[in-house]
Amino acid sequence: MFKKILVANRGEIAVRVMIACQELGVKTVGVYSDVDKKSLHVHMADEAVCLGDPPPSESYLNIEKIIEVAKRTGAEAVHPGYGFLAENPDFAKACEDSGIKFIGPSHKTINLLGDKIEAKKTMIKAGVPVIPGYQGERQDVDTLIKEGRKIGFPLLIKATAGGGGKGMRIVRSEDELEESIEGAKREAKSAFGNDSVFLEKYLDKPRHVEFQILADEYGNIIHLFERECSIQRRHQKIIEETPSPIMTSKLRSRMGDAAVKVAEAAGYTNAGTVEFMVDGDLNFYFMEVNTRLQVEHPITEMTTGVDIVKWQLRIASGEKLTIKQKDLTQRGHAIECRIYAEDPSHGFLPSVGLIKKIEMPIGPNIRNDTGVEADMEVSSYYDPLLAKLIVSSENRMESIMKMSWALSRYIILGVTTNIGFLRQVIEHPEFKKGNITTHFIDDYFKDLLSKRQTGLPLNAVISLAVYDALHSQRQEVVRFKEADPHSPWRRLGRWRIGV
Amino acid sequence: MFINYEYEGHVYSVIVEHRDNEFFITYDNNEYTVTAEEVKPGLLKVKLGDTVIKCAISEGDENKFIFIDGDVYKVKRVELTGRRVTERKEGDLNSPISGTVVKVNIHEGDHVKKDDVLLVIEAMKMEYLIRAPYDGVIKKIHFKEKEQVEIGQLTVEIEKGE
Repeated sequence: MFKKILVANRGEIAVRVMIACQELGVKTVGVYSDVDKKSLHVHMADEAVCLGDPPPSESYLNIEKIIEVAKRTGAEAVHPGYGFLAENPDFAKACEDSGIKFIGPSHKTINLLGDKIEAKKTMIKAGVPVIPGYQGERQDVDTLIKEGRKIGFPLLIKATAGGGGKGMRIVRSEDELEESIEGAKREAKSAFGNDSVFLEKYLDKPRHVEFQILADEYGNIIHLFERECSIQRRHQKIIEETPSPIMTSKLRSRMGDAAVKVAEAAGYTNAGTVEFMVDGDLNFYFMEVNTRLQVEHPITEMTTGVDIVKWQLRIASGEKLTIKQKDLTQRGHAIECRIYAEDPSHGFLPSVGLIKKIEMPIGPNIRNDTGVEADMEVSSYYDPLLAKLIVSSENRMESIMKMSWALSRYIILGVTTNIGFLRQVIEHPEFKKGNITTHFIDDYFKDLLSKRQTGLPLNAVISLAVYDALHSQRQEVVRFKEADPHSPWRRLGRWRIGV
Repeated sequence: MFINYEYEGHVYSVIVEHRDNEFFITYDNNEYTVTAEEVKPGLLKVKLGDTVIKCAISEGDENKFIFIDGDVYKVKRVELTGRRVTERKEGDLNSPISGTVVKVNIHEGDHVKKDDVLLVIEAMKMEYLIRAPYDGVIKKIHFKEKEQVEIGQLTVEIEKGE
């Protein structure tokens, strides 16, 4: 096992990785940008080094600086977390070239799977089903428009180098095509430094089901079953669960076999995730491989008892995978909710601010993965994911009830979050029935999101008034109530401004 | 003590008096007498008749946040002036987000059609489009490409066409 590693990330995932390191007695080096100086991951690290200015290109995406810090601090390996440099083959290569172990697959594998077009070709060859689409090298807008027309509408534009919904667009009709291609290319360019995109058929009633894999460096590959990640907004997951409500043992073993086949075909090592789309008739199609630890890995840990991050460290340090496929079982049911600093009633716009108060629910089988604490500033430089709430129970219904309870006691003040919205989704009758697709939010929450609002409840008004009276510095000179029982102020309640 | 809270475009006016252990609250033509305890800083237990209200309150620079029954409300204390509190001119295009302007599609003096994309703002690697609210002429553009824009800042002024 390594003696010391560098964690090249921030937020909850840096904290998660450091916990695994601490458990295994591995020293950690944290890195941070100026705005993250007081972050949790900086406090947790055994030593922490400032990378400089907040923009990711100057800090968490700066390969040279990070390699230099790793060398200077004597870190033997680098864990990239997710996002930032996690799926960047140049970074993996730079680590390899500097004699630092990259905790993940080889740069060749990342390269192959990061190029969605090459990845698909490889999988077709390996006999894994894929979705029809255009994956050509000609990237001029005219070609893309022509190919788009061929595939038909609706279709999906995705960044070749992408992930996480960035640079992704759904096109419903031909007149949106050109603008969408240009927008997707721009987003792809700025997020990944590569504006190459591909097009594909958009499936009806699609579900997003992925399989966790673990592969050691001696050819042993296992899968840790599926995760259902259909509940998404802006093409990014917000609620994940395992097992998937649609899964049968037969489908599970077919998809699991396919996932292992994908890993074999790509020469995969370390932890990874094979993403599939499953349509209304339970046909499944290979989508892509995320060559990194996933945000939603905890639900797999809750149901299998396997610590994925520790295995990442063990595999990278050259240990053999000692778990056999036949020894693995899924026990019970787990759900994860992603707590984002965003405003669901305003198109899920990220929100910024100072976290004044944070209190997470605690109780049996409740796990909080967090990167924030009180008095921390949420800035607009990075992804707005604050924390993850994970629960597990005997079965799906119990997990839903537990999640609903936990969300209702999750306090974050100072920055707008999606917690209330998550609870509405969890408590939605169709969610409870397991009738979920990637369109769930659009199908059931579109209207609700734009109008909503019942106003400020009476109990809130009373509590606020009590609070302000308690904290008031002023002595009251006039007592309105006693002064004039017929005062018009007494009739005032809720009224509307400017109408 | 007379207080106005603004929440989502509405003002909630309330009178509160604190005498000994009791609070006398007048709101919406009703009177409530409650007792209250601040269990921890910002954590209140309010007794109203048989019910106990538990909530958490925190103060920001401008806003107060209250967590009650699993929901959070962001309110602002406003001074009552008898006039509208926020004035928003039609056609003002304020940025919905803090971010960087990545594309400016228009020049001052351009004629634009409703829903035309005027500016593209990028924040956290996602794009937000500022669209024309109606047909009109661009009067002033406040940002250039690559400039930083803060939430609520006016981006473009547009004069409504015929």
